[in-house]
Amino acid sequence: MSVATRLGGLDRGMQLVGGVGTVLLAVTIGSFLVAPALTGYLALAFAAFVFISYAVDEENTARFLLFVTTTSTVLILAFITVYLLVNAVPVVREMGLYLLVGSDPFWSTGTNVYSLVPAMWGTFLTTIIATLVAAPLGIAGAVFISEVAPGWAREIVKPAVEMLAGIPSIVYGFIGFTVLSPYFQGELGVPQLGNLFIVGFVIGVMALPTVVSVAEDAITAVPGPMKDGAHALGATDWQTTTSVTLPTAFSGISAAVLLGVGRAVGETMAATVILANVTKLPEPLADVFGSTVTLTSLIASQYGAASGLQFSALFAAGVVLFVTVIGFSVGSQLIERRMRERLGGEP
Amino acid sequence: MSLGTDASTGSAGAIVTGDSSTRELLSGGLVAVSFASFVVSLLAVAQYVPADAAIGGVTLATVLGGALAVVGLGVVALGAGSYAGAFETEPGQTGGLVSAAFVGALWFAVGGLVGAQTLGLSLTWPVLAVVTGGVGGGVALLAREDLGVTLSTGLFVLLSGLVVLTGLVGPGWRWSPEGFSITVTAVVGIPVITLFAALVGAWTAARVYGGFGPQGRQLGAHMLIGTNAAGMLALLGSIVGFIVVRGFGPMTEGIKYGLYWGPWTWFNPPLVDTWVVVEGPIVWFYWPFVMEGYSTLGAGVDGVLPAIVGTVWLVAGAIVFAVPLGVGAAVFLTEYADKGRFTFLVEISTNGLWSTPSIVYGLFGLAFLVPRLGNTNSILAGQLVLGFMLLPLVVITSRESLKSVPDEYRDASAALGVTKWETIKSVVLPASLPGVITGIILGVGRIAGETAPILLVTTSSPFPSEVAGVVEGGFRFTSAFPFVAVPDVNLIQSSSALPYQLFAVIGAGLGENLDFAWGTALVLLLVVMSFYAVGVASRIYFRRKLNQ
Repeated sequence: MSVATRLGGLDRGMQLVGGVGTVLLAVTIGSFLVAPALTGYLALAFAAFVFISYAVDEENTARFLLFVTTTSTVLILAFITVYLLVNAVPVVREMGLYLLVGSDPFWSTGTNVYSLVPAMWGTFLTTIIATLVAAPLGIAGAVFISEVAPGWAREIVKPAVEMLAGIPSIVYGFIGFTVLSPYFQGELGVPQLGNLFIVGFVIGVMALPTVVSVAEDAITAVPGPMKDGAHALGATDWQTTTSVTLPTAFSGISAAVLLGVGRAVGETMAATVILANVTKLPEPLADVFGSTVTLTSLIASQYGAASGLQFSALFAAGVVLFVTVIGFSVGSQLIERRMRERLGGEP
Repeated sequence: MSLGTDASTGSAGAIVTGDSSTRELLSGGLVAVSFASFVVSLLAVAQYVPADAAIGGVTLATVLGGALAVVGLGVVALGAGSYAGAFETEPGQTGGLVSAAFVGALWFAVGGLVGAQTLGLSLTWPVLAVVTGGVGGGVALLAREDLGVTLSTGLFVLLSGLVVLTGLVGPGWRWSPEGFSITVTAVVGIPVITLFAALVGAWTAARVYGGFGPQGRQLGAHMLIGTNAAGMLALLGSIVGFIVVRGFGPMTEGIKYGLYWGPWTWFNPPLVDTWVVVEGPIVWFYWPFVMEGYSTLGAGVDGVLPAIVGTVWLVAGAIVFAVPLGVGAAVFLTEYADKGRFTFLVEISTNGLWSTPSIVYGLFGLAFLVPRLGNTNSILAGQLVLGFMLLPLVVITSRESLKSVPDEYRDASAALGVTKWETIKSVVLPASLPGVITGIILGVGRIAGETAPILLVTTSSPFPSEVAGVVEGGFRFTSAFPFVAVPDVNLIQSSSALPYQLFAVIGAGLGENLDFAWGTALVLLLVVMSFYAVGVASRIYFRRKLNQ
């Protein structure tokens, strides 16, 4: 109803351009789903339509095109969701809840038994360790950049943290594999090469820049007058930080940590390279120096040889990952929104 | 309270009293000693300078232990001096709840470790831990700040120093925590203990330096936060430095260059009817690591050219796909859309795409794109998947940049009767261009280093010797209609890429390829980091320009 009235509110040119364009585009995308061979021609038709329409009615065509680009993120996310779910259906139908609560044997391609328990446990442990690394150090780094550092130090540390984000994950994994794993095996008597602790530590370091940047934004968003009030009462800088700035920015900082945790959950290459990726639980369960597999490394290490139900099980792992990470993302956005509302809009 | 005020008013007459600068001198020295021990311990943890290395007749462990014992004693002495009124300080009535909790946790760990490890209490160690933790935290909380904090942390530092100094944790010492498959020996144990103790010592000494009270607390906290920031710098420096050191040799192996005299161009002008040859100096440069593929015969230098070319194609395709979509979406969101349910939905899905794990993109590409694009691993699928990943980064940064364009620009343009789209095209977009481009550069840096998605949808042979022939043939004239032949562009073929090349080497076993792997890592790092360096630098430059 409301959509109809809104469409009615558009002028005639917009209705025409939008209507024809939408139909053509929908047909093009639809053809890619069922008959990819035709997509090229339909895309050409769409391009020709846009070209002509832009020559005739520039204003409305531009607006329509921009609208189309805006829907792209929504469409892509929707496609990802659908294709992950559809491909995960066979294994869910076959294994049911065993996927999430199964016991030994967890993963056997011979008997077609699949359970994600070891992978979920591995992801859980590594994420906890990564959070213990990234959250305190990241928040401290954000406080340094936004509150403590003199100008020259900020100019150095801030770009450095951004550069830290630029180191590719496979490089971290490579260093973990060639430097940290032998160190733990040689100096600390860990029986196998590679363990969950190294993975957790490495992805914690990788999540660090995310936490620093987002937390720094949150701390900088605290209105100056609030801090000035504390200073006027004779508080030191540090007292202002702990009693005014950090509590005010608390929700923004938790959003930063959530985003960092989401990054850590989805980190693939470090875990794939460092771990042995055996689908067994560590023995005993909380032995972080043991080896198992994570959801991400399960997919990356098995996709090549997988077919049938095993392939579907990998998609189930993808669904668990996706749902977790999207949950963290939405959660952090809701928290951030609340903070913005509490601070009363833009300062 | 009365004692503190008496002490401060008592010496308020002299602006700089001798005893206060003595305190600063002593505690400053302790901070320096602690910090030096911290750095040395860090090097010792990394086995860069092993703890049992001898320095002038004594082992490093003894030096560290002695330094910590000095710091511990010094801190306690300074605290006692302050309590006795020998120094001018402003201690609070309590050490503060956070500090006390921290100190309590330290002593809890000490009690637990001593109980379980040294005394061998298998069941009752938690009791000991709680008792020591309670006493340590209690002293810090209840006693006056100058006494409580220095006593509880100073004794901790002293104890750690003594444990190392006396050889209680020394050669032959080993500890295998129950339930963990790890055995800590003195080689790692000593530096870890001194690392923590040195940090605690530096923190306390900084508090003494600030004269306790709010000022002291601020100094202590800033010391820790500053150390953390310095640690991040050191981390970046050591990762990059390590790779450069290990990878530079393999990367530059076999570089040859030279300068020689040769023909630049030649032509046959009419009438003269003789060849005119223009000669000049020609630089000749051959860099096998980036100009060759993996040598199939085992002779010659193994190179990464196919991977470099693959990465260039992937990145170029991703940019072509994602930048128009992303910038368009950002323009629509800032210029056209009203804040409502639609923008909220777009925001949620943009941020969702931003946080979607790269391996999930790979799975999606494997299930959605690969079957529809020739049913084989292909560059095109990789381009699209990386484009999906680049899209949210472009949307988010472009939106920020468009938002920062002042409304006056739009109003001025509108006042001249210019239409909205024309305004966007000629005013808003140009003004926001620096920010948009910076965002794109940073995003490209990120996707250029992504391995997981292309691992699933693009790659095939782990050690390619040939570059993927994407463009075959060139523009040429033909005798048949339409008289011009365009080159064949074939994106439906597998290819390597730099991050995948590194992964493939690791997967194939590093053995004899270790040098090749370090060289590949360095090239990858250089490619990605140069995108980041350019992006970060241009952002700083334009932001500064905007603020002028």
